[in-house]
Amino acid sequence: MIRRNFHPFSGVVLCEFAMVGALALICGAGISAQTHARAQTHAVANSDAAAAPVKSLGNRNAPITMEVFSDYQCPSCGNFYENTLKYMIQDMVASGQVYFVHRDFPLPMHPYSYMAARWANAAAKIGKFEVVDATLWDNQQAWSVDGNIEKFVAAAVSPADFKRIKKLMEGCDVNPTASAKPVAFKNNGQEDHGCMLDTYIEQDKQLAKQIPVTQTPTSVITAKTQRYPAMPGFVTWPILKQFLTSLLSQ
Amino acid sequence: MSTGKRETWRRVFLLIGRLALAGMFLFAAYAKLKPQAALPWSVASVRTSLSMFAMQVDSYQLLSPQAVSMAAHALPFIELVLGLWLLSGLWLRYSTLATSLLLLGFFALMVRTYSLGLEINCGCFGPGEQLGKKSLLRDGSLLAFSLVVTICAFLSKRKRSESANSLPAAASEPQRAN
Repeated sequence: MIRRNFHPFSGVVLCEFAMVGALALICGAGISAQTHARAQTHAVANSDAAAAPVKSLGNRNAPITMEVFSDYQCPSCGNFYENTLKYMIQDMVASGQVYFVHRDFPLPMHPYSYMAARWANAAAKIGKFEVVDATLWDNQQAWSVDGNIEKFVAAAVSPADFKRIKKLMEGCDVNPTASAKPVAFKNNGQEDHGCMLDTYIEQDKQLAKQIPVTQTPTSVITAKTQRYPAMPGFVTWPILKQFLTSLLSQ
Repeated sequence: MSTGKRETWRRVFLLIGRLALAGMFLFAAYAKLKPQAALPWSVASVRTSLSMFAMQVDSYQLLSPQAVSMAAHALPFIELVLGLWLLSGLWLRYSTLATSLLLLGFFALMVRTYSLGLEINCGCFGPGEQLGKKSLLRDGSLLAFSLVVTICAFLSKRKRSESANSLPAAASEPQRAN
């Protein structure tokens, strides 16, 4: 008989199982250690950014915290807000299950995103983050054309609040032209003209560097002190909800 | 190189090839099923890992949420079964063919996503790996390797069939001479 068949439970096959199992365990241990180290770095950075204005929604003590690194002019971020985050805010943030934190990560390719982030930070300083954040996303296409963000912010808040926001925007280049990048991008993103709001944006960017975040939108989810790997890209609401619900059932 | 020697090398390559592919698929399944963060192994933690994998599948923006959920919950188990099948060495032609087809599907999906400019996680070996030139090169190489293993499996089977057919003929020769 020339044909030789391998029996599934012969000695050779059992040795193969053992070898592959050992390989998988070694690789798994390596990845686990890496994830743990990243989580620790991020936790330290989080405490550093505590002085920033409150760009968050919901109950701070919610079992799940979701940080989203966004660029106000990025279409994918706009899509993520309109089709996923909006529903999450209405559902799980409103019910106290999720604490949502916005993090600024303006990308150099978008000329008005840094300016939009300044408006959002100014609004956050006076406790109007939610309404200005929503208006920036809802009108993203309109202000992306000419960078006129001011009129949308003015329409979203009361005249008194707008006055306060405008005061905070003093020293910031209000309407940069489409061809010119915001002044804050000079010298590797460091402010060089006295716009105090840029400090908060830079704090978020530093935090992003440590995770690391390289693209927008990127979601970082923490549940019961366990930080999960950063999740870049758009995710639909039903799938995100499925994940958040599974975290709650842990 | 003599036919016998070539066949021996082919069998050695086939053994190494299927073990490498089995190891890769078992590790891919393990990376998707293993509990995230520092959670212990439990039904709930595996469910969370699968939900996290579903987010990665969803970010490819190809399937409806229902289809994403089904695919994400089935794929790690398909990879697990395929890995064990390759490891067992049973019906090798079919297991290597199934592996190549699956890798071809993954690669096509990755190329499509990369060409669309979507900046997402690959999800190939658990979370945290960005889809880019590096992952495309790796998956492309794996596909090429799997195709070579599949071809070897088919050639090896044909050789063995030919040998098996020629044996009765050779055995009957002396009888006829008599």
